[in-house]
Amino acid sequence: MTSALSVTVEEQVLYSSTVTAVGEQVATFVEGHGILVFFGVDSPAELHDFSALHEASVATAGPRAGDVVELGGTRIPVLAVGSVVEANLLNLGHIDLKANGAAEADMPGDVNLPSDTLVVPAPGSTFRILRPAGPVASPEDPA
Amino acid sequence: MSEYTSVTISKGRGGWGGPLTITPTAERPLIYSVTGGGIHPVAARIAELTGGQAFDGFKSSAPFDKIAVAVIDCGGTARIGVYPMKKVPTVDIHATSPAGPLASFIKEEIFVSGVGTADVVAQ
Repeated sequence: MTSALSVTVEEQVLYSSTVTAVGEQVATFVEGHGILVFFGVDSPAELHDFSALHEASVATAGPRAGDVVELGGTRIPVLAVGSVVEANLLNLGHIDLKANGAAEADMPGDVNLPSDTLVVPAPGSTFRILRPAGPVASPEDPA
Repeated sequence: MSEYTSVTISKGRGGWGGPLTITPTAERPLIYSVTGGGIHPVAARIAELTGGQAFDGFKSSAPFDKIAVAVIDCGGTARIGVYPMKKVPTVDIHATSPAGPLASFIKEEIFVSGVGTADVVAQ
């Protein structure tokens, strides 16, 4: 019964980046749709209008439900995460944050956050994905 | 002079839209892959069957009017609508359906999703 020995870990930084530019349509996406789209700085130009571009210094994993996204110092709990989020984040620097309050991810790229939690980030601000300090029940643990 | 041929691209499991018939031309030769990890196998397959030119959108950029088809690995919010909005036929390898701020541009005639290499068939 090794699982009875709960291990406490400190809060982990799974991802950390700096916002380098904010497209003209980002405010419309955030304020009109509750959606904030990130892409890496190498993304094609046609994606820049509605995206916050960012450059990562830490990129080890994508979020899962129960993690925290931190945007410009504001911490927001993650409610649900779609199946392709991690691959898109790590491959393309791409992530879609949706402040929809929904407990299930409708689309495979969705990261759901509580309603009305998003703001338009400023260039130079920090975006991070944090995994709270343990003990954490891990689904990978043997029963 | 290249000769181009047509492919039919049908929706895969859980997918939406299509089928699309794609025929590159001298004016629109590019099979534009906007995906992680280089040219996606679906884009490579379309290029192989049509004679179009596979192009990595994350390596360099191309004008919309050179693109025969865009291949994306979109999770359902942004890229899903960008290329249809510009009248570029769009293939999503993920099984998405119209959603996001640009959902109104996503029509069956211009978008197909859930696509794997087996869903790309020579005509």
